[in-house]
Amino acid sequence: MKVTTSTNGNATVAAVEGRVDSANAKDLDQELAAAIDQGGSRLVLDCKGLRYISSAGLRALLVAIKRTNREGGGVVMCRVPDHIREVLEVSGFTRLTKVFATVEEASVSFD
Amino acid sequence: MDAALEVSMEAAASEPRRVAELFESFGAEHGVPPKIVMRMELALDEVLTNVVSYAFLEDVGDAKITVGMYISDSRVKICVEDNGLPFDPLTEAPDPDMELPAEEREIGGLGVHLAKTFVHTLRYERVDERNRLTLEQPLDGQPEEPAA
Repeated sequence: MKVTTSTNGNATVAAVEGRVDSANAKDLDQELAAAIDQGGSRLVLDCKGLRYISSAGLRALLVAIKRTNREGGGVVMCRVPDHIREVLEVSGFTRLTKVFATVEEASVSFD
Repeated sequence: MDAALEVSMEAAASEPRRVAELFESFGAEHGVPPKIVMRMELALDEVLTNVVSYAFLEDVGDAKITVGMYISDSRVKICVEDNGLPFDPLTEAPDPDMELPAEEREIGGLGVHLAKTFVHTLRYERVDERNRLTLEQPLDGQPEEPAA
């Protein structure tokens, strides 16, 4: 797994690539916490390169959603591959975070 | 098309990924549709993560976990057996309440919920001091869309 962080306007964009499962969900947890520490609580999760996520990865995502909501921002997602979207839907996560087609749309959704 | 792959694994946190990825390549090699491979791989990963996390919390001596993967024309079947503590994830993990807002959502039970949703049949038995979980997926036609 690899997380690359950048900023786009008022939003922090974390691009997550690869596989997130119980073996490395803690790393995602730490990477997202660091991204929020540095860039603020408006977090865009760019999932274009996300190949696989299990419930352990969703747990890390839920931690970030709860924290950013508390801090007045939130987590939105974009460029989610179909098979990942299916996992999000089955887990009820599409009720917790909005999904956009592009990084741009996701970023301006906070404005 | 009949194929079988039987592997043993250790009760270690790194093992579910190794075995889940073995299933991914085994399924792909034998022509299982990618959508079914992905769903079963996730279900297997969740089940194995439960086994290594809970079945060996107490020292039960040598941990023995075996995973059998079987593909025929009509179905894919995976059998997970371990000699750990009796643990039925289907009854011991509560179903998550997915109507709750984020601040009240808890993650417990989500892995089992995903596993149940993504395979047609998920069955638990306690046999000869062993836990046995069976995952089965028919291959007739397209998989049904799971309920969101």
